Amino acid sequence: MKQIRRLLIYGSLVLIALSMIIPFLWMLSTSLMSELEVYQFPPRFLPSTIKWSNYLEAMSLQPFGRFFLNSMIVAGASVLGQLTFCSMAAYAFARLRFRWREKIFALYLSTMMIPAIVTIIPAFLLINTFGWVNTYWALFTPTVSSVWGIFLLRQFFLTIPRDLEDAARIDGASELTIFLKVILPLSKPALATLGIFAFMGSWKDFLWPLIVTNRIDMRTVEVGIANFSNLYATDWPHQMAAAVVVMVPVIVVFIFAQKYFVKGITMTGLKG
Amino acid sequence: MVPRLTIPSLTARKLPCLFLLFVFIICVPDASAQNKITLRLTDWADLDEIPLDEQALAEFRRLHPSIDVLYEPNPGRQYEEKILTALAADEPPDVFLLDSKLIPTFTNKKILLDLTPYVRELGIDTAQWYPNVLNIARKGTALFAFPKGFTPLMVFFNKRLFDQEHLPYPSRAWTWDEYLSIAKKLTRDLDGDGAPDQFGASFSNYYYFWIAWVWKAGGDVVNPAGTAATGYLNSAATEFALSFLVDLQKTHKVAPNTGSWIQSEKTGINVQLFMNGKIAMMVDGHWRLPRIMRQIEQGNLTVGVVPLPTRSDGIRTNVMYESGWCVPANSKHPREAALLAAFMAGEKANRIRAARRLEIPSVRAVAEEVVAGDVLGLERPFVEEIPFCRQPWGSMIERFSEVEWTLQDAVDEVMIMGRPLHETMTKYATTIDRQLENIRAHQSFDFKPIREHSDILRFLVGVAVIVTLLCFMLYLRDRGKARQATRTALGFLSPSLLHLTVFVFTPIVFAGYLSLHRWDVVVPDKPFVGLDNFRDMASDPTFWNALKNTLLYTLNVPLAMAISLGVAMMMNRRLKGVAFLRALYFLPSVTSFVAIALVWMWIYHPTFGVANFILASIGLGPVQWLNSTDTAMVSVIIFSVWLSLGYQMVIFLAGLQGIPEELHDAARIDGANNWQRFWRVTFPLLKPTTFFVLVTSVISSFQVFTSIYVMTGGGPVRSTDVIVYHIYQAAWEELRMGYASAMSWVLFVIIMLATWIQFKIIGREVEYG
Repeated sequence: MKQIRRLLIYGSLVLIALSMIIPFLWMLSTSLMSELEVYQFPPRFLPSTIKWSNYLEAMSLQPFGRFFLNSMIVAGASVLGQLTFCSMAAYAFARLRFRWREKIFALYLSTMMIPAIVTIIPAFLLINTFGWVNTYWALFTPTVSSVWGIFLLRQFFLTIPRDLEDAARIDGASELTIFLKVILPLSKPALATLGIFAFMGSWKDFLWPLIVTNRIDMRTVEVGIANFSNLYATDWPHQMAAAVVVMVPVIVVFIFAQKYFVKGITMTGLKG
Repeated sequence: MVPRLTIPSLTARKLPCLFLLFVFIICVPDASAQNKITLRLTDWADLDEIPLDEQALAEFRRLHPSIDVLYEPNPGRQYEEKILTALAADEPPDVFLLDSKLIPTFTNKKILLDLTPYVRELGIDTAQWYPNVLNIARKGTALFAFPKGFTPLMVFFNKRLFDQEHLPYPSRAWTWDEYLSIAKKLTRDLDGDGAPDQFGASFSNYYYFWIAWVWKAGGDVVNPAGTAATGYLNSAATEFALSFLVDLQKTHKVAPNTGSWIQSEKTGINVQLFMNGKIAMMVDGHWRLPRIMRQIEQGNLTVGVVPLPTRSDGIRTNVMYESGWCVPANSKHPREAALLAAFMAGEKANRIRAARRLEIPSVRAVAEEVVAGDVLGLERPFVEEIPFCRQPWGSMIERFSEVEWTLQDAVDEVMIMGRPLHETMTKYATTIDRQLENIRAHQSFDFKPIREHSDILRFLVGVAVIVTLLCFMLYLRDRGKARQATRTALGFLSPSLLHLTVFVFTPIVFAGYLSLHRWDVVVPDKPFVGLDNFRDMASDPTFWNALKNTLLYTLNVPLAMAISLGVAMMMNRRLKGVAFLRALYFLPSVTSFVAIALVWMWIYHPTFGVANFILASIGLGPVQWLNSTDTAMVSVIIFSVWLSLGYQMVIFLAGLQGIPEELHDAARIDGANNWQRFWRVTFPLLKPTTFFVLVTSVISSFQVFTSIYVMTGGGPVRSTDVIVYHIYQAAWEELRMGYASAMSWVLFVIIMLATWIQFKIIGREVEYG
């Protein structure tokens, strides 16, 4: 019985996983094809000759090294910023009692409801007034905090039992101590989640970096990928090759952050 | 005993100081004095063109050592957005490349420099350019751009396929009947499965391609004054051309179904099929030549070029797509900028650029050199077509792109939905009449010539003052212990509050202000219009359609959540290889959106895609996916679920981690089965997480934009037009920022209500349960 259940779980997981992976296999194989081979019917799943040179060309047609550096700086700043800013605000909303708490939280949440496409021009006007066009400031400052992240962490903080912090409070610990020593260590899965999303969010952001930078050496990886599509055509093999390379750091970050989930899982598993 | 810590650095009292410090930091003036003039130049040169432009600019710097040029190319598709934001901030480059379709808007709003005085002053020879190309940027006596290059639409044909059938190559003076009969002969079923796999012709149902056929048939889409469509769009000649084109694919089946126009344009399917010998005759512009030349040079292809065939009465009118170098009216160095623009459009730069063969050089002498040096004879037919080239409506009528979208809908309704031609064209002609009237009404706008755009700082200061005052009020209202608590809370909130004030509240308040004003983005003046924007919205049927589609799209939320919660539950156990699977599910979330959306457009291709290939192998299909009003929205939803599955899974996984295993054990001891354990233990404890996923998914579903923008463009026939896409079009294509802001506020209210309901029904119980 247990065997059958296990088989069923595996089966459905693998089936969904297959549908997840097919587009990537196609992406991978296109990245190794010649221009002529792309888009054949019946679909060609494997290139006739593997063109590793596509990767080299994709990386050298544009200063991708520089793009990576820029994206790393921006994504790094964004992760650090969000972990700090969001967890502080989320702590206040989840754990502190103060007047207008729910009203202020509603105000925070409501800012998510205006589409970015309208606020991008005023945001750019601000950046321009600050004289930040073509700087890292322009790229990362808008991403160092997010209401999405505050909401996420608030929801997780709400699930932490109050007993622990009550004990600390009786010991005379300040709110900051409770926040740093009690709440944060207990929220590792949530913080890891936010970290991944903050990293991914700025790694994959496209329109904002494009608009606030003019010089090619201030552009980010996602802009670099998009540059393989122009008004006339899309350079499929090179675009796909660049996309594959650009994915790698995010996967590394994911696997690193995943340790926190896995740790939780194995620990509880050992107990049982 | 833990040492007592407080947060002394960030308290409500110090918030104003923080703001002041911040304002000070950002206002430090940029004091870099220069004696050399520096000009900025922007274009959409692709990666192969950039080195050529750099070479041309190096030549310019050598000739004019007192002028330096900063080159800022934007190779992707978002060139227009770049130029528009730069103009909105009053920081446009000194010279930029302009597609002729932006000329009417930019000249009506007086943001381009009239180059005529500089032509005289700098001794620029305007006779070097083809006169009808130069005239595209002429308004009366004023000249607003120097032409860079241009192209008519031509037929590229694969010589090998003609040779195989022993067909003579088409001649310059061929007719539509000949075109059709050749196309029929070249359409073959090579593998004998009953469906053709080599096609004689191509057909893109994209306005930019079919308009040339309409003109050649003696028809048009609007009247000569450009004021109405009735009597033109539904005239016999126009309908003759449209039915000829539709029949190529529908009746004669000599052209492949290449999917929705946006699908075939973005994936480049036609040229791919042409290069692989699957399409014998392809209609396209000069811009295809670089790719085709590469295949010719590698010996994969032999190609000829002829003009589009003429209808029996021999009208040879063709369309001309052009771009030119222009200078913004407020350039600080207009003389030098005009010099640079003329140089980039001139003989030397054109000769350097001609190496790429992307377009016909605007300079007659260079174009003739290219023809003389072209042993394959591909260039001559292009140049011979120049006298017959006519400028497109888009370069004459402001906001004509709106009409183009409607024309696209009209043809899609015939092509995709199979509606009768004449009735459909008559219906859409009335729509376009109204659109043109509306555009004209908006055009007559006498804006005040204000110079500076930067009133945004006033908004920032205003918002900052209000936020600070509110914090003070909050602090002062309480006494004693409560005040202490408020102080601590404000300390915790202040970093995010500062960030919100600058990057979120200020832009939102600005958008609120705009919703009651008119703002054309590129013009600083913002006259007050009261509730006009909201009235426009109420009377716009496409807005209500977009609202309906948005609600339809939101239906994906429960589906996506159910699947991702199920997957997360299965993943939340010790199975071999589960870490790997988890990473796999997360792959879609980490991939470049641009790239993966393109892959999905290929998967969804009705004729050549993997989805239909798989369906066919189990005897199903073909499904039209993005190319049908019935399935387009479903296709986008499938893509969205696929995309967000991993992301939701990760959040659920993190939530499941918070549930102590002991509770499960206790339930198990009590004899609860799996199902009971899920509903009694897991689900209630996971509620905060579920609630979070629900609220944020609903918000982001109401704001769905990127997948629509990339995959469907709101089509076919607006079946996937959603509110934010509508807002995008108003803001960035029609330059109606006030209208766009007004729509955003309506969307805001809707989302607010939806969120409020969720909090009322589920939220309360979650938080303090």
